[in-house]
Amino acid sequence: MKFLAHLRSLAARFFHRSQTEDEIEEELRSHIQHRVEDLERSGLDHDKAERGARIEFGSTERFKEECREELGGNFIDSVIQDFRFSFRTLRKSPAFFAVAVVTLALGIGATVAAFSVVNAVLLRPYGFSQPERLLWIYSQRPDNARTNFSLPEYCDYRDQNTSFDGLGAIASYNVSLSDLGQTERVQGVRMSANAFEILGLRPLLGRALSAADDRNGAPAVVMISYGLWSGRYGKDQAIVGRSVNLNGESREIVGVLPSSFALPNLDTDIVVPLQPDSDPRRNARNSVNFLRMVGRLKTQVTAPQAHAELDSIRQNLHRQFPDTYTGKVGITIVPLTEEIVTNVRAVLLTIFCAAGAVFLIGCTNLAGISLSRAGARQRELAVRTALGATRSQLTRLLLVESFILAMIGGSLGLLLEIWGQAFLLRLVPTDLPRIATFSIDSKVFIFAFFVTLVATLVCGLAPAWLLSRSDLRDALVSGGRGSSGGGMQSRLRTWLVAGQIALALVLLANAGLLFRSFARLSSEQPGFDSSNLLTVRFSLPGVTYPDRAAIVQFYEKLQPQLAKLPGIGSVALVSILPLAPKSISFIHFTRPDRPPGKPEDTPSTNYRIVGPDYFRAMGIPLFAGRYFTEEDDGNRPPVAIVSTVLANNHFPDRSPIGQRVLIDDTDGNPRPVEIVGVVGPVKQTNLETPAKADIYLPLRQIPKDGVPFLRNSTYWVLKTSPGAPAIEPLLRAAIRNVDANVAVGDVRPMTEVMAAALASRRFSLLLVGSFAGAALFLAAAGLYAVISYGIQQRTQEIGVRLALGATHGSILGMIFKEGSLLLGTGIAAGLAIALVVAKFVANQMYGVSEHDPFSFLVVSLLLAAISLLACWIAARRALNVDPVVALRAE
Amino acid sequence: MSNEAELLPGTLDLLILKAVSLGPLHGYGVLLRIGQISGQALLIEQGALYPALFRLVRQGVLKASWGRSENNRRAKFYELTSTGRKRLREETDGWNRLAAAIASALAAQPQEI
Repeated sequence: MKFLAHLRSLAARFFHRSQTEDEIEEELRSHIQHRVEDLERSGLDHDKAERGARIEFGSTERFKEECREELGGNFIDSVIQDFRFSFRTLRKSPAFFAVAVVTLALGIGATVAAFSVVNAVLLRPYGFSQPERLLWIYSQRPDNARTNFSLPEYCDYRDQNTSFDGLGAIASYNVSLSDLGQTERVQGVRMSANAFEILGLRPLLGRALSAADDRNGAPAVVMISYGLWSGRYGKDQAIVGRSVNLNGESREIVGVLPSSFALPNLDTDIVVPLQPDSDPRRNARNSVNFLRMVGRLKTQVTAPQAHAELDSIRQNLHRQFPDTYTGKVGITIVPLTEEIVTNVRAVLLTIFCAAGAVFLIGCTNLAGISLSRAGARQRELAVRTALGATRSQLTRLLLVESFILAMIGGSLGLLLEIWGQAFLLRLVPTDLPRIATFSIDSKVFIFAFFVTLVATLVCGLAPAWLLSRSDLRDALVSGGRGSSGGGMQSRLRTWLVAGQIALALVLLANAGLLFRSFARLSSEQPGFDSSNLLTVRFSLPGVTYPDRAAIVQFYEKLQPQLAKLPGIGSVALVSILPLAPKSISFIHFTRPDRPPGKPEDTPSTNYRIVGPDYFRAMGIPLFAGRYFTEEDDGNRPPVAIVSTVLANNHFPDRSPIGQRVLIDDTDGNPRPVEIVGVVGPVKQTNLETPAKADIYLPLRQIPKDGVPFLRNSTYWVLKTSPGAPAIEPLLRAAIRNVDANVAVGDVRPMTEVMAAALASRRFSLLLVGSFAGAALFLAAAGLYAVISYGIQQRTQEIGVRLALGATHGSILGMIFKEGSLLLGTGIAAGLAIALVVAKFVANQMYGVSEHDPFSFLVVSLLLAAISLLACWIAARRALNVDPVVALRAE
Repeated sequence: MSNEAELLPGTLDLLILKAVSLGPLHGYGVLLRIGQISGQALLIEQGALYPALFRLVRQGVLKASWGRSENNRRAKFYELTSTGRKRLREETDGWNRLAAAIASALAAQPQEI
């Protein structure tokens, strides 16, 4: 009721401002005229009566103002007035204005940019319906919790479980895509067609795959990603229904995937139906493991229950087929949406927090500056109070001022973010899921607005708080110098600066730890020589390369062509390049004279197929035996080369040369190969984990079941002589010469492949490092400001001291003592915080402890040095004080 | 001057409500009525009446309408709303309790303690 009345009066006031204004005027005038008439009636003449009535009434202007205020709508007027006034004030101090706006623009820009990446990768919905019920499922082995299932295994889980509303299977599928006369390598997945229904995913265009697409003899179809659609096809709205050629087979595009779509550790340029039930491997129990599973939990079922059920199915299979399922010791079950971002979440949050810390330091810096300004303006504010301004009105004025600054800074920051988006995208490592379709959406805008409000409050409330604590009448009397508020103000500023130093130290420590990890990792020996090494990846169309003979023939045609290129040393083929992203291939093997005690103890090793010159081209040293030769072909007994890791672990008792191992690399039973050489260890998957066991097989002896894998993805490595000309065009031409239908991927120097392996670390180091640099600068600037402000306030005191014979040294000492106290407090607090938060970055460390004393010491010294420098620059001004001038300053 | 008293803070609203409860009044009329019913004992700053009237209208205890005064001038007349009548009853009771308590406290004699 009251509230409604209030609203009504506010609305009336707002929409009929001049009308209400007139009414107040008229009402007061009517009062005075009534009074005048009464006074005249009591015998006064008109003039005297009029004057008397006015005096009795008091200040009409003041009461009109009070009436307006009672009406409520006045707030808007006052705020508008405050805005006008603030603009005038800010115009009068352009330096402050510029510093504030730039600080805020950078702080808000950085925070919003970090948020937009976090939003694109972590927060944006995936387009799945009820994603919390979606689980991603791996087969668990003794040495690896995340391995694949075989096709018959998947079908068993799918058909026997009762916990899921559907269980889908997904395999990676790298093929060459050609249409419109262009061939391109694309990385996608084969997915059981029920998976779309399980995910609850709506296509952007056309239709999603449906169960019908998995039936035997269904038409060949494909869905393409948003990225492929917008890149290769220029967002062609009529794309649905067009035919494309995948590995030589024609498929019809039936739909486009939404841009938010992603799957864990899989690229999804294209999706084709898996057709599990018509697959030749449907009943081959011993066939290759290449599938991951995704399931939607039934509403009444919990994840642990589902896990228990799948595990009991696994145990049944284990009993039924003891030989085949030896190494499969469990099931790993993880929420799908968590698995997609599991590797990047910590990194992104670190970056986001670092940006937030810089923003906070920037805000506190501004709060410090506005505190000084409020101190300097105390006289002005005191006069305003004396003239009737209330404290809340003054607070409002200060908040309006910081709001103006924050809005301008925030808008500039947002613009900066929008302009810098392209640059940011270049910086971001490509293995961040969904980053390619990153955009600035409403959430980013809301966040930017929220950050701006925080900035307003932080910068505006500090001086307002000061105001509430100080007696402004003192300011009038003492002329704004040495008033009680001054002490309060400098104490508050001191705390703010100590806080800034602490925050800056936390950031620096984090950057230092990341840098040490990065340096350690970069100096790791990968086991090969990446200099002057060129790599190229391609896939061969399945139709023209059905078997080993065809692949070998292609190899024999291409090898001499490549060797002829200018400046080429050795050329070789390899199935998977070391440090290539998202590529895993490993097999199980046994030493016949030492069968494993339990089947699940069967050891595993990385599995690579190579050309004879591979080790020479890569500079992988040979420790015993021999390299492969062109004579190691299908007519000779199968041979293998192993790494020292495998040799040391499994042949500690004798030389492995001439020994046989049984390797399980076919759909049939394990087959024997003879070890003919031992080479150095190589970090195959990443630089972080130590080299594991490797086994290499010669290209000419690959088993039939290995053909599809080699066809989908093959790398060539070319050792060039130093300073060799750019041969990429010649290389592409040579491959086109041999077969124009081969899809050639990127041609990259091996150094670039290694850099890519470090890209995500470089990204976070670069960002956290620059944030730490900004924090260092801001904290030093804050310290400088507070010290020089102190000196300015004490010019007179310093003058007296100098006049009484104090040396420059003692004055400097006095200033430095203050500075170091502040610095010491800040650093101590910062170290304490940094040690506590270090555990959140522990998993990003490599080769250093997250409490690495060296890093902490170095960054503390760095911070101390820069801060003391700032102190010294400020202090020099104190020494230039002329005692006579200082004493006259009063 | 001895029979004039300063208003206690917060009592102006109560007096206005009481004055208006005896019949609709314009602002100047409220002033006269308060003088009349208090025996000219209470001193009210004339202008201060208006912010109070506006506040009471905003709170919904008074309503205002334009009309003609007895000397045929245009004036804004105030009257109580039903909330206003309720408020007046409550505040009168509250005031009486307070006055009685203070009177009894001030009348206390040493032997009564």
